[in-house]
Amino acid sequence: MLCHPVFAKSGAATLKRGIGKIIALSTFALTILLTAAWPAPAQDAKSPYPSMAPVEQYLMTRDAEIAMARSAAPPSISADADVLFLGRHGYETAVKGKNGFVCLVERAWMGAFDGKNFWNPKVRGPVCYNPPAVRSILPITYKQTEMVLAGQSKAQILDAMKTVVAQGLPPLEPGAMAYMMSKEQYLTDGAPHNWIAHLMFYTPLMDGSAWGADLPNSPVMLNPQFRGVPEPIDNFMVPAGWWSDGTADPVNPSS
Amino acid sequence: MNCEKSMAIALRNFALVILLSLPWPAQAQGQEAQALYTRMAPFDQYLMADRHAEIALARSAAPESIARDAEVMILAQHGYETAVKGKNGFVCLVERSWMAPFDDPEFMNPDQRLPLCLNPPAARSHLPLTFKMTQLALAGLSKTQMFDSIKSAFDKKNLPLPEPGSMCYMMSKQQYFGRKYGNADPHLMFWFPKTDDMLWGAGVAGSPVYVHQYSPEPITEFIISVSKWSDGTAAATN
Repeated sequence: MLCHPVFAKSGAATLKRGIGKIIALSTFALTILLTAAWPAPAQDAKSPYPSMAPVEQYLMTRDAEIAMARSAAPPSISADADVLFLGRHGYETAVKGKNGFVCLVERAWMGAFDGKNFWNPKVRGPVCYNPPAVRSILPITYKQTEMVLAGQSKAQILDAMKTVVAQGLPPLEPGAMAYMMSKEQYLTDGAPHNWIAHLMFYTPLMDGSAWGADLPNSPVMLNPQFRGVPEPIDNFMVPAGWWSDGTADPVNPSS
Repeated sequence: MNCEKSMAIALRNFALVILLSLPWPAQAQGQEAQALYTRMAPFDQYLMADRHAEIALARSAAPESIARDAEVMILAQHGYETAVKGKNGFVCLVERSWMAPFDDPEFMNPDQRLPLCLNPPAARSHLPLTFKMTQLALAGLSKTQMFDSIKSAFDKKNLPLPEPGSMCYMMSKQQYFGRKYGNADPHLMFWFPKTDDMLWGAGVAGSPVYVHQYSPEPITEFIISVSKWSDGTAAATN
């Protein structure tokens, strides 16, 4: 799942990267979490992306998409992963892997439902899921993408996902996590578009304070995505410190 | 990729991997340390004379925003005791060298100070191991006896496995892993029942995740370094 791109857009734009950014991002994330109205048609009206763009705008060339998907994790992981490719009818396997990880480029509709970027056709969220997340989280991606490509509205997708949740999602497996370390990721129209290199950890819905998330000086952030809307899942994020190509992400000066 | 930066990252990764996973006896300094710490020192050497200093050290494991509301435990003559009641479910304490892996040459080094703040799932599932190991150390058991006792306790299910979501903060600038590694890096640790390194893609080139496979504890520990100490200051590149 995508990290919440709105973090970078509003929270960090005026701050230098570094600890100030982390604090600002965490605080802003918490503010969004606590104040966002759901669902928010009014926000949609204000969003530069109030509805789905022509599907072509979300698609990439096959080779570019494979390369971007793999860039989500270091080559030592992604080189042996399954790689998916988004076609007109959903994700297809472009490369078979052997280590159980699956890398793909998620699109904006995998961000939070109330995010302004939900239909942003520029968003590219390369992610590599570990095996438990492949079984627990990836089915959500498949389902939502299927509905998007069938032309359903955001409200229809949300309603359908509520039904899916009520009927039973695949159980969230312990240890489900994902890499988002692509320097090429585009998570927001604000600067920097690629936000930060980070890891994501999925847990059952819980109080974010159980991980000390979003508190001053804490390196742990709670993604406002999911959080019971509608999936009963929390997504904690920790900066990785460097991009998948080994270059430093300045948000972590020790790297 | 900038060469200097690559080298710095490589060295840093290497240092942490060495610290956390290599067979210590292969290291010359490790052999020296093993020769030094073959048995328990007098127990008083593991204690901190100043109760307030131990409370402060324990709290320094996590940012103040977490530690100030945590329960704080200190080590006394008869084991750990609660010094400060908390209200957020975290527990902060200073572990001693018998909580290091059994293959750590600094195991039983009386100078080691390992402050950590456990989140609620870890407080429930990790603290029993801390208490048990401390009890064995207090009883003056040898490392071999401690190993056997811990193995037996897990075999008989007298010690719990890590609960899902168990993690802790180790971000104290004052932490001390021993002569070789000093205060190492600020980091987070995540515990699982024994699993494969690759569950989290740990220990492979370029991964920010490190791993330690404990023995005899059927526990896997994933470690992620972070850039700042708990006081918000930047950690130097090692």
